[in-house]
Amino acid sequence: MTKLIRGFNETNIWNLLAFLIVAATVIPVANLALGVLPGENENWRHIREYLLKDYVVNTLILFGFSGLFASLIGVSLAYLVTVFDFPGRRFFQWALILPLSVPAYIAAYTYSGMLGYTGIITRALSGLFGRDISIDIMSVPGAIFIFTFFLFPYVYIISRAFLAKYTASLIESAIMLGKNYTQIFFQVILPVSRGVIASGSALILMEVANDYGVASYFGIDTFSIAIFKVWFGMGDVGAAAHLSLYALAFIVFIILAEKAIRGQKRFAIATTKVRLLTPHRLRGAKAAIAAGYSMLVWSLGFFIPFLQLVAWSALTYEEVLDQSFLQATVNTVFAAAFCASLIVCCAAIITNSARISRSRLVRTAGKLTAVGYSAPGAVIAIGVLILFIWLNAMTELFWSYSLITSIYMLLFAYLVRFMAVGCNSLENGFEKIGKTYFEASRTLGFGVTRTFFKVDFKMLLPSMIGAFSLIFVDMVKELPLTLILRPFNFNTLATKVYEYAHDERVHHSAPVALIIIAICSISVYSLSKLDKE
Amino acid sequence: MFLQLKNINFKYDGNHQYVLKDFHLQAAKGEIVSILGLSGSGKSTVIRLIAGLEVPAGGTIEINGRLVAGPDSFVPPEKRKVGMVFQDYALFPHLSVYENIAFGLSHLSKAELSARVNSLLELINMSEYGSRYPYQLSGGQQQRVAVARALAPKPDLLLMDEPFSNIDCELKQKMRGEIREILKSESATCLFVTHDKADLEDLSDRSITIEPN
Amino acid sequence: MKKFWLLTLSLFLLSTVLLTGCGGGTPAPAATKPSVEAKEVNIYTSRHYPGIDDAIYKSFTDKTGIKVNVIKASGEELLQRIKTEGASSKADIYLTADAGNLYLAKQAGVLQPFTSPALTKNIPADFIDTDKMWVGLTMRARVLVYAKDRVKPDDLSTYEDLTQPKWKGKIVTRSSNNIYNQSMLAAFIAMNGETQAKEWAKGITANFARQPEGGDRDQAKAVAAGKADVAIMNSYYLGQMLSSKDPLEVKAAESLGVFFPNQNTTGTHVNIGGAGIVKSAKNVDNAVKLLEYLSDIEAQQKFAEASTEYPVNPAVEPSALLKKWGTFRKQNINLSKLGEHNRRAVQIFNEVGWK
Ligand SMILES: Nc1ncnc2c1ncn2[C@@H]1O[C@H](COP(=O)(O)OP(=O)(O)OP(=O)(O)O)[C@@H](O)[C@H]1O
Ligand SMILES: [Fe+2]
Ligand SMILES: [Mg+2]
Repeated sequence: MTKLIRGFNETNIWNLLAFLIVAATVIPVANLALGVLPGENENWRHIREYLLKDYVVNTLILFGFSGLFASLIGVSLAYLVTVFDFPGRRFFQWALILPLSVPAYIAAYTYSGMLGYTGIITRALSGLFGRDISIDIMSVPGAIFIFTFFLFPYVYIISRAFLAKYTASLIESAIMLGKNYTQIFFQVILPVSRGVIASGSALILMEVANDYGVASYFGIDTFSIAIFKVWFGMGDVGAAAHLSLYALAFIVFIILAEKAIRGQKRFAIATTKVRLLTPHRLRGAKAAIAAGYSMLVWSLGFFIPFLQLVAWSALTYEEVLDQSFLQATVNTVFAAAFCASLIVCCAAIITNSARISRSRLVRTAGKLTAVGYSAPGAVIAIGVLILFIWLNAMTELFWSYSLITSIYMLLFAYLVRFMAVGCNSLENGFEKIGKTYFEASRTLGFGVTRTFFKVDFKMLLPSMIGAFSLIFVDMVKELPLTLILRPFNFNTLATKVYEYAHDERVHHSAPVALIIIAICSISVYSLSKLDKE
Repeated sequence: MFLQLKNINFKYDGNHQYVLKDFHLQAAKGEIVSILGLSGSGKSTVIRLIAGLEVPAGGTIEINGRLVAGPDSFVPPEKRKVGMVFQDYALFPHLSVYENIAFGLSHLSKAELSARVNSLLELINMSEYGSRYPYQLSGGQQQRVAVARALAPKPDLLLMDEPFSNIDCELKQKMRGEIREILKSESATCLFVTHDKADLEDLSDRSITIEPN
Repeated sequence: MKKFWLLTLSLFLLSTVLLTGCGGGTPAPAATKPSVEAKEVNIYTSRHYPGIDDAIYKSFTDKTGIKVNVIKASGEELLQRIKTEGASSKADIYLTADAGNLYLAKQAGVLQPFTSPALTKNIPADFIDTDKMWVGLTMRARVLVYAKDRVKPDDLSTYEDLTQPKWKGKIVTRSSNNIYNQSMLAAFIAMNGETQAKEWAKGITANFARQPEGGDRDQAKAVAAGKADVAIMNSYYLGQMLSSKDPLEVKAAESLGVFFPNQNTTGTHVNIGGAGIVKSAKNVDNAVKLLEYLSDIEAQQKFAEASTEYPVNPAVEPSALLKKWGTFRKQNINLSKLGEHNRRAVQIFNEVGWK
């Protein structure tokens, strides 16, 4: 620490900026945590006695299984579509990202609709077997199913990009050493890509941690639900803070695990030669299995719920769709695009200074943004609200503008929420680039800032666009922050869906859900085009 | 002395063992010094310290009478006027060969710039390759471009990490001769890492060996 | 230049401390605003009937020229927002679908008393808070929904009867996280005392056909599917299913009957959707005008027809469907009790293991 770069130089400006951004995104949550002392009161004793065990167990089970299944599905599919050629490969390459475009809470409602008594799947099964057969999706295994099939693309995207570019020679030399493709997957691919798998599943786990919609609909007590219940229901901030400490332990665990799995050595591949692998052509039964597996995952994670939503929309679209949806669509797209761009820029500052700084403090600062991504939305919302009330009080003296009814409060909350997604993506981007280009440019007379714009930026661009699409999609789906913090009369597509879904009228929410899926799909599709280059 | 390293201590973050302990090195102006040593002994590390890519844990580095690394000061790499050839070349993949060599020459006018780049392309025998991209080059060709790129801004001090390891003998000999001529004519100082006896004899005035710590 | 870092660090700490201080205490009161009311009224609402409410607000605006600004979220979230905003809140009306939340708002001190001749005329005294902090606008009953082919209405009598061993494995209802169940248990605490209420919750939990999951509608479907015989749920969800566009859903709903329990004892549990005026409201007169309009015949009729809830205004008839289900005797308790006993109700649910 004493060996920080000395002197007021460019690096310090980068660090300062990064520091301010991280501080801004952490303060709303930290502020809440620091502001209240966790209370040892009656509520807390009650929680500890009757509920805490359930919270811990449920959260751990959801984390463990969703993370494990999503990672396995994600990597295996990535391996399949990069290393092999089979019927439908080109289509699945991008289509397997589509599940990301379906918000988890909509997936939950749709599946429980299909599997409910009047649902199409239950009907079909009953018709087939002649007696009532029903699958109970509203359970812990059901939640694991939803999280697995709608979040696995986080791992899929990142490991596919990695495999496609950097493992051709590894795979080829393994084949020369007499390994078959299954052995290669377990002995070479899994170990080598553990870093990217870790970073993809960290995102998945954070999404699981912050989930409110699925768990509350399925009646599963997780920490997110508990914090909401204790704080908003019982009005006990102290006990909620106590719970948050536990939840925070989970997040710290995720971050540390990711770090540990990645290992000390950053796996940067510095060769200028990127050779693409010629896919191995599968035939006969093997080709059918590969295609069948991809088809199954794609159908469960996208196509089946999509068809169901289309069918429901046919029933209700006339009743539901009106002019207000145009406005809601514009609002959604504008807010998402604006914030996604801003977040990508901020994340570039944070990750770049983390990369160039010798200070451990700065290097880990970016990780703190995870707090914003994994905390329950309602908690962030109130944290941001407190910050803005304070700002409002400061500015009121000379500026009559009301910040707390403005859109800026919501936009800022989005930054707090999704900064971690940006940092995560760009960190991986920087890792792929390595540091030698940066160093080469420095010895050729370019400072940190000019190097960033002349060298790093160009090479990072694909990662930045990738990060943009991911954040954009996340933002279009975002619900809890928008609900609580929006200005008067401001609607997004997600809040429109909520109005019906909350009233258990899932058929009526279908048309809007389809608009959300359509917008996200466009973004996801462009993401896949990008990888091709 | 043009280059002076005194009492340098250094270890990599996260490692316990010091790579360099109480390390000394000096070179006079215009001198060409080769660095020898076993693999892993710290040759690349010395070069990176001089370039400003690593910060010493103790000791001082002076270049041309200016303190560039010491207890209270640190001059960043871009202000040290050193050129560097990396062990893994580090050619910018998004720039062509021509643009890579021109990268450090932004202070020159267009005409000067193209004259300089073209003469360097000639030096490395790659005049036809200006518009190619790094991934379209062989290992040896990439290495040559890296040398040309480092020479381009006429640095006072040139650092090269195994610059000829991938180049065939005949061409290597030619490049050595020409680089020596260039360095001498500009009285530039040069430090380079090598495992090759011929490099040592043809190019350097003097050699030092780094003992593993 | 260690100073530079020190400066940064202290700036960061300073801002954290300032913010924390502000988070702990109440925000400074807003600068006094000119008392001229704008032609608008701001609502924080947790009612989620998109078509209906918006249409009613629109006709209010057409009539009075007062613009209605709306933020929709859950009742708990909105209450937290109002509490946090304190004096700087822009909300005039807090509208929510549960008396429990209204009570919590009143307890938190974010509401103010209000009254007007029109309001007292439109709304029966039962549905007005004792301190005039809120008024009820719609009423819903938490009823027993049973499978017509397996259960005869004669088998059903009271909520308490459902704890009998004969109903083992036959009862479904949603999770205790939901305010509907919390308010129901709070009502039992108010009427029968804590011990009996806990016995009841324990008995029901023992008779569950499955762990609570899903919403009220899902309970009806579980009964239709034969997974259970009786669901405890709000009546209007069955109404919605009956008017669904999906023929299967209508068919499922038609196989179910509605029973109003406790007719000969304490009455059926009811809850209200209602509204209070926020203490820091800048547009109090407009807010009162809107509430008068919402409790008046025109708006009440629309509520009744579209959301299959019961109107509070005695001059308005319930919808045809509700009339078909018949009239019933409702619990005779002050609705404030629902909020008063809310916390204890939540604790009891946890203690007896009602998920
Ligand atoms: N980034 C790093 N982090 C940790 N240790 C490192 C790092 N780079 C090098 N080392 C260690 O420092 C020591 C010196 O490494 P250096 O690269 O200077 O060796 P070298 O003499 O250039 O070897 P070679 O001839 O193989 O290039 C080695 O033991 C190496 O393992
Ligand atoms: Fe409801
Ligand atoms: Mg080396």
